[in-house]
Amino acid sequence: MIVSVILFVLPAPSGLSLSGYRILIIVFIALTLIISEALPLPGIAFIIIILEVYFGIGEANDIAKSFMNDAVFFIMGSLMLAVAIVRQGWDKRIALGIIKLTGSKTHRVAFGFAALSAVLASFVGEHTVAAIMLPIVLTLIKYTSKDRIKIWRLSAYLLFSIAYGSLIGSVGTPSGGGRNVILIHYWQEFGMQQISYLEWMKFAYPLIFIQIPVLSWLLWKTFPPEKKTLDTGIRRLKIRAKSDTITPKKITALIIFFLVFLGWVFLSETVGLGIIALTGVVMYLITGCVTWDDLHKHVNWGVILLFGATISMGAQINHTVAAEWLANSVIKFGGELMVSVPIFTDGLIILLTTLLANVLSSSATVAVLGPITLNLPGDTVHIGLVMAISSAFGYFTAVAAPACTIIYASGLVKAKDFLKVGWKMGLVSIIILVIYANTYWALIN
Amino acid sequence: MKILIAISSKEYSKPTLQVGMLAAKAYNASVTIAYVGQKISAFGKSDVDLAMESNAKWGLERPGVRVLEWAFKYLAENKYITPEIAKVGFQRNTLVDHGKNRLELHLKGNYCEEVDLILRRGDIIPELRNEVHQGGYDITVIGRSKKRRMAHDLVQYIDSSIYVARDLLPFKEFRLLQAVDDSKGTAKALLYGSQVAKAFKMPVDVLTVSKRESFGKGYMGAHKKALKIFEKSGVKPVSMLKVGDPVKTILETATKRHLIVMGISQLNPIIQFFKGSKPLNVMKKCDSPMMIVK
Repeated sequence: MIVSVILFVLPAPSGLSLSGYRILIIVFIALTLIISEALPLPGIAFIIIILEVYFGIGEANDIAKSFMNDAVFFIMGSLMLAVAIVRQGWDKRIALGIIKLTGSKTHRVAFGFAALSAVLASFVGEHTVAAIMLPIVLTLIKYTSKDRIKIWRLSAYLLFSIAYGSLIGSVGTPSGGGRNVILIHYWQEFGMQQISYLEWMKFAYPLIFIQIPVLSWLLWKTFPPEKKTLDTGIRRLKIRAKSDTITPKKITALIIFFLVFLGWVFLSETVGLGIIALTGVVMYLITGCVTWDDLHKHVNWGVILLFGATISMGAQINHTVAAEWLANSVIKFGGELMVSVPIFTDGLIILLTTLLANVLSSSATVAVLGPITLNLPGDTVHIGLVMAISSAFGYFTAVAAPACTIIYASGLVKAKDFLKVGWKMGLVSIIILVIYANTYWALIN
Repeated sequence: MKILIAISSKEYSKPTLQVGMLAAKAYNASVTIAYVGQKISAFGKSDVDLAMESNAKWGLERPGVRVLEWAFKYLAENKYITPEIAKVGFQRNTLVDHGKNRLELHLKGNYCEEVDLILRRGDIIPELRNEVHQGGYDITVIGRSKKRRMAHDLVQYIDSSIYVARDLLPFKEFRLLQAVDDSKGTAKALLYGSQVAKAFKMPVDVLTVSKRESFGKGYMGAHKKALKIFEKSGVKPVSMLKVGDPVKTILETATKRHLIVMGISQLNPIIQFFKGSKPLNVMKKCDSPMMIVK
């Protein structure tokens, strides 16, 4: 707070407008509050909004308009869809499906968890998938050994397979994560070139297939499991999962989600991803697949408000030309390399995004960094996708992504386990993305 | 009297639980055993809650329930709870969710009227502070933390007397080391010290340390008063008057078989934060169990 007051009374740096300087002070305050969790999330959101008005950055009505948009609708809708989907109890069927495909060899089971988590997360978001997969993995661990300490490496191996698998998958389509939709919103807002749902998949999906085997190998090496086969656990899990019955409600829920998916693929450019997500929510409510009480209880309204506020802040960073000033500063720092060697720009974006995503959260990172990186020299689709994908490299901490928080909350993995495997996964992912973005994308373009 | 026992895991918390329950039995106090689980980031809280509900449908317990189950077994084996409750065993589904990350299991005690098991989630210091504030506890029993800063913060921010439990030793083998000076904190500490010595029949050493060669009126008066209080409660104390640095001298005098009792410092909390205080500095460095009376 003291630093903010000092910054406020200091003159703006040369080349930066007063409103641009003030929005950067708000960014500083917001980042400090989000990282320290000194205030509840809605409180931070309100601080951002009121400061935008008090600092004279925009009129109240303009700020309100920038606060609510399709990206916020999508975040709201996807959080609600997650509740509706998890509530249907498809987890037992999923467990049976994985077992059928993988058998009982540990490395095959873990690969199956990672691959399926990735594919599902690419459509429904990593938070949904982690919540569905967690009880399956925990049950398997419980049935494998009563003494969890004896199989701690196996536990970490399986749990990280679902968390990191979900993270890797979440970049596959626009609906995989809120950050993807925030990026699409910025492309629209700043009048930049956009890509469709299917085009996004064409750019991003192959990366999932490259990363999943790498993930499985790295996890196997970092947490060599105490048991190489899980016969007993799998057998008992199968018996447990077979007790499930398919009800008409479950079928209805699946059909609704399929319709939502079709809507995202074919209608998102016309009506927006958020509106389609909310349509799905309405259908779930009408058919009784989920109740409002359930949605109200399980949706993190603080997150919605905060993302609304950070997107509004992002729009103001661009509007006040602070984004351009910051981008120019980065260009000055990078010099000729920024223009002549595109890999250098990619590396810089990836590094910055990865670092911030690990302490802030992926969506908030894209919301804050988006306006700045999109002002850097180069193709805005290329830069945007590099940023969105690297924001999913939240491998180092438990707070980086909900999927990581979910496995951390199981109590079977410790914060140091994230660092132990995270730095390897982060480093490999950065290298893969730089090569992938500068070869495969160049080819398909 | 109300006692709160903060436990962390079955591997490290046995001395804490044992000492806490012995004290509760001696005072016939209500006792609450609390476990504070990992803090969840505000971003993922709802997702975690949703995942935990899914876990419950699969019959999987919440993290931390196993620690409470271990505490329940300890209570049952040592007859701290009624045989009827012990016979039924630990019922996970009877944990009552009070919201705000707090689950509670209420048990009927044998020696202590009430025995509660609490499961909380979040930052350990704010959660224990909230629990103390909510329950109005007189003493909080904590274990020897590897993180010295943690014990320091607990002493600083929790609004009850703090008992820092160390290695497991029968109480009978302990001597009580009552550190006495002329501060306000000493008066209350003396009351606790005399009660503990009487309850556990502990031999007592009353120690007053002066920085100067001669002892002032205040220090001598406080020392004599302390001796009288112990004598009144039927304990014959050993008088110790030493010259030197108070913290250093207390540390040199205390053995592993001493239970140190000190009053809380009356210094400004900001000064304490930067400079520390006598009880905090002793606690940081000593290997003996310690009671800091507030």
